[in-house]
Amino acid sequence: MTTIAPGSSEERAAAQDSEHVERIKKAQDPGVSRAEGWRRRGPLLPALIFMIIVTQIPFLFTLYYSTLSWNLVRPGSRRFVGLQNYLDVVGDSTFWQVAINTVILIVGTVLISVVLGLLLALLLDRAFLGRGLVRTLLITPFLVTPVAGALMWKTAMLDAVFGIVNWVLSPFGVHNVDWVSKFPLTSVMINLVWQWTPFMMLLILAGLQSMPRDTLEAGRVDGAGAFQLFRELTLPHLRRFIELGTVLGAIYLVNTFDAIYMMTQGGPGTASANLPFYIYQRAFLGFDIGQAAAMGVIVVIFTMIIASFALRLIFKSFTGKEEAA
Amino acid sequence: MSTSVPQAPATTQASSADTAKVQKPKRKRRKFSPWGVVAWIVGLGFFFPVFWMVLTAFKQEVDAYTTTPKFFFVPTLDEFKAVFDQGVGTALLNSLFATTVSTILVLALGVPAAFALSLRPVRKTQDALFFFMSTKMLPVVAAIIPLYVIVSNIGLLDNIWALIILYTSMNLPIAVWMMRSFFLEVPGELLEAASLDGASTWRAVREVILPLVSPGIAATALICVIFAWNEFFFAVNLTAVQAQTMPVFLVGFIAGEGLYWAKLCAAATMAALPVVLAGWIAQNKLVRGLSFGAIK
Amino acid sequence: MATITYKNASCIYESSDKLAVDSLNLDIDDGEFVVLVGPSGSGKSTALRMLAGLEDIDEGSIEIGGKDMVGVPSKDRDIAMVFQNYALYPNKTVAENMGFALKLRGVSADERRKKVEEAAKMLDLTEHLDRKPAKLSGGQRQRVAMGRAIVREPQVFCMDEPLSNLDAKLRVQTRTEIAALQRRLGTTTVYVTHDQVEAMTMGDRVAVLRNGKLQQFASPADLYDRPANAFVAGFIGSPAMNLMTAPIVADGVKIGENSTLELERDQLTQLHDAGLKEVTAGVRPEDLELSDSGGIEVIVDLVEDLGSEAYLYTHAGPGVTLVARSLPRAPAKLADTVRLRKQAGGAVHLFNPQTGERIG
Repeated sequence: MTTIAPGSSEERAAAQDSEHVERIKKAQDPGVSRAEGWRRRGPLLPALIFMIIVTQIPFLFTLYYSTLSWNLVRPGSRRFVGLQNYLDVVGDSTFWQVAINTVILIVGTVLISVVLGLLLALLLDRAFLGRGLVRTLLITPFLVTPVAGALMWKTAMLDAVFGIVNWVLSPFGVHNVDWVSKFPLTSVMINLVWQWTPFMMLLILAGLQSMPRDTLEAGRVDGAGAFQLFRELTLPHLRRFIELGTVLGAIYLVNTFDAIYMMTQGGPGTASANLPFYIYQRAFLGFDIGQAAAMGVIVVIFTMIIASFALRLIFKSFTGKEEAA
Repeated sequence: MSTSVPQAPATTQASSADTAKVQKPKRKRRKFSPWGVVAWIVGLGFFFPVFWMVLTAFKQEVDAYTTTPKFFFVPTLDEFKAVFDQGVGTALLNSLFATTVSTILVLALGVPAAFALSLRPVRKTQDALFFFMSTKMLPVVAAIIPLYVIVSNIGLLDNIWALIILYTSMNLPIAVWMMRSFFLEVPGELLEAASLDGASTWRAVREVILPLVSPGIAATALICVIFAWNEFFFAVNLTAVQAQTMPVFLVGFIAGEGLYWAKLCAAATMAALPVVLAGWIAQNKLVRGLSFGAIK
Repeated sequence: MATITYKNASCIYESSDKLAVDSLNLDIDDGEFVVLVGPSGSGKSTALRMLAGLEDIDEGSIEIGGKDMVGVPSKDRDIAMVFQNYALYPNKTVAENMGFALKLRGVSADERRKKVEEAAKMLDLTEHLDRKPAKLSGGQRQRVAMGRAIVREPQVFCMDEPLSNLDAKLRVQTRTEIAALQRRLGTTTVYVTHDQVEAMTMGDRVAVLRNGKLQQFASPADLYDRPANAFVAGFIGSPAMNLMTAPIVADGVKIGENSTLELERDQLTQLHDAGLKEVTAGVRPEDLELSDSGGIEVIVDLVEDLGSEAYLYTHAGPGVTLVARSLPRAPAKLADTVRLRKQAGGAVHLFNPQTGERIG
């Protein structure tokens, strides 16, 4: 962009151009461009309308129910109580314990599976005999029906008497540990990490394989060792893939239900319940619609806060251009 | 399904050392690397639970329920037969139906949407994408109560169509996101060239664009199938006997047959195997789909 | 009759406030080969795409064969375009690519095959007809793109930098083939390029564009001999014309410390009448020669010997550089002080130092 000297003929020309543009824009027929806009939006509308109806309307109902005191066991007792449900929920110590469980589950699972996924991706990045087969084996946990996988972990792997884990660890002096009862949250987390590591691995592997090799070569020529190359070049490039994996994983993990239902039923007590399971218990086993709805809304609010960061992250990373190598 | 390493790596190394002197142009290098061994060990480790599940499904009950795990036994199909006798057929059909129809719906709604958000971008493209992704972030549990009420009020409780609609809404955002990234790969000039050649937009899409993005659409469909087949939360709350899907059947099975491990594994195998096999076969498409969602 | 007329045509960049094309006026005759040339951002591609219907005509109009094209979609304009990246349909064979437009029009399969084979013969593509574009080389793909355009027998050919993805040697060869083809077919052609050599060799007339505005629309010879402004003067010709803004002295223009570039008497009169103290003077390298006396004193910075000729890069003073063409195996060496003078028959072009417009 050349700078324009004030008062010069160039400045006068630039001013004339802006006026010209104004004139053109004013003369444009708004009707035509609006019609074109609708024609372009057309294909989007069915999907959009469908999603709005199926997702937003139920949520509006949840908001409404959360203001009611409504227990299905006592029909006819339904009445409006405003924000009372919310106060009850916030005062419920079990709710907070369960909330903490949820956070522990999510953070723990994401952290461990990202690290494991990174290590696995690094392993798979180099060619070796049977690499394709190993990859096939590694993605299997992600494909297996979560309840089936949880079932296997609960029974075949972690069972106190018959579990493989105990059998494998018995030479080390570990005998008949009832993992699921004594370490319920950990057991669930093991299952979740097993299930989600492949996903992280695939994402990070995609990142590794999309990295331009010439920057690595330049680094090597400049004298960088393998670890330095990894820290300075590879890791920054992988950052957005790791971020995406973390965000997507966290979103899905908020909804974790299958594993808990299958492995511990939230127990002992509520030691391993997370928010979705606790809400499920209140609504379908305790029949307390109002409270369950209020909890649901609170979960949504928290999730929205985190999700807005997440969405901004996704959109920033992926609609912007890759930085110059 | 453990596989055996085809040949001892040592021999490969020896023979390649011999031929190294003879100048051969670079062939495909099959290096024996220690990291490869580590990778194999980890791979087998991750696969083990699934392997054990399938293995146990072929055992007799007495072989399955043992303190020390049994690797060698006389296989039998009895357990599978028992599971069938207890009505897994309905659940299988339900799962198949729900998965297929919801995936078709997702594609029918999602392909045009992805097209609108990529090749002919609308001004509010970002907002629409934002909205789609945000629906994914709403915890499902918050909507389950009114969904239950609504579904039962319109008489769709224990009806497979309730699940179909919900699965469609569950998968649509991901599908749109992924397919949009595939559409973005198509150079805009192709549409222009087709337009100059005299094609209407619809014709151009059909003859030029769709063939190009069909691998991407296949990848998306596969991911939708995986999520729909494996879904549990909606299924367990909104279905009973008639419309139950495989995951629900499996859980119900446990309640009655909790100690019959071989039978449990047979049921679990039937629940999990279709999607695992589909994922294996279409592995490359799957990986491409997942990573393209990432890269773009 | 496929005449093309741009009447005050303008186009604004999407989501911007700048004019991509500003009030373009061009009258193109039937069967003429017109080249739109200019640096990047000059609006030449946009002007072409307005003609093809790929960009909106925001103001003014474009007429083809006398019919106004405002509001007419691309598919109804009967225009064929060769894209810079060829835009071949990857999932169709060469024959299907070339026959696509005919198929859309409903032409029978036999008729289609005949026309495709004719065009393939013209372009030496017959043995590739059943291959897909991915299996072809760059040059072959380019020819398929041309073939796709030819088969349609349209009113107008549009070509958007079709040679820029070819290597240098192939570019020269294909250039002549395209020009010969157009002469044979007689179709009105609008061709966009940033390479002024292509413009000069291929066009019947050339339109030079800059920042969306037309600078000059004339035959290559006219552009070379009588450039309408300093920009055109410096753009056409390679190496570029030497342009210097310098004070006017008694018998010419002062160059460097102590040299004068002499001017014709009527040029001096015009300058005096215009009341100018300074002027932008231009001399082409091929109009300068080494001399023993007179002329401009310069110091040689670089000698480029091309075998058939040599170019001397020199400076007469700080910031005043001159390029001169001379015989090969030049007698001048680096850091020599030599004298350059205008050849007999050479011209000095004069331009207004503020507006750049030609004087005289």
